[in-house]
Amino acid sequence: MSEKTTKQALDRRGFLKVASLGSAAAAASVAPGLVTPAQAYNPGNEETKGRYRETDHVKAFYRTNSY
Amino acid sequence: MARMKFLCDADRCIECNACVTACKNENEVPWGINRRRVVTINDGKPGERSISMACMHCTDAPCAAVCPVDCFYVTVDKVVLHSKDLCIGCGYCFYACPFGAPQYPKVGNFGSRGKMDKCTFCAGGPEADLSPAEFQKYGSNRLAEGKLPLCAEMCSTKSLLAGDGDIIAKIYKERVVKRGYGSGAWGWKTAYKETVAI
Repeated sequence: MSEKTTKQALDRRGFLKVASLGSAAAAASVAPGLVTPAQAYNPGNEETKGRYRETDHVKAFYRTNSY
Repeated sequence: MARMKFLCDADRCIECNACVTACKNENEVPWGINRRRVVTINDGKPGERSISMACMHCTDAPCAAVCPVDCFYVTVDKVVLHSKDLCIGCGYCFYACPFGAPQYPKVGNFGSRGKMDKCTFCAGGPEADLSPAEFQKYGSNRLAEGKLPLCAEMCSTKSLLAGDGDIIAKIYKERVVKRGYGSGAWGWKTAYKETVAI
């Protein structure tokens, strides 16, 4: 391997080392207050309310299915 | 509190697929999706039986258990619903469901599934009751109108029952007592063994 290509390889490694250090520092610098825990979907009372009613229509269904 | 359930009387189902058609029409279900389907076993042989299947609105629903974004919720009527705004179309619920209820419209390129769609027991979704947004995403909300799912209401042989689990179980029990034979009668196999066919 020539002297020139060795130098290029060393430069590249140096850049990668600096880049990895930089990204690690960026990750560590995120303020703990900004990280919010994942939350499950919590539907409101309006969404989960009971919609079933025993109307005359429903009673007729039960009556006509009873035979 | 009433607990919504489907019950298909397999001795009455004639595989007319009217429930499938009614569901598709009532809810304007997209192409490629059947929220309800009729499954036939021993097709063309003695003892053939058909059963209409859709989401069974399980008590401890496996679809809800595996959903990574937790988009499922259960109403006071024990109807299992989901939010299409949260669904990411991962397909986990499809693999978890023992009834094959969750369906995907397969819209878009590269095999993307799209938002999951399933039977809502004609109870709409998280949007405001009877709103156009609710209809567009989830179909009609007949429960809010004081009605029951259309598939059951228009079953010609009154095979498919829907509504309060206690009431439809009572109706089915009465049918079994009146019928008094075959799969409808408790102890038939004990008394007559497998050799006696009906």
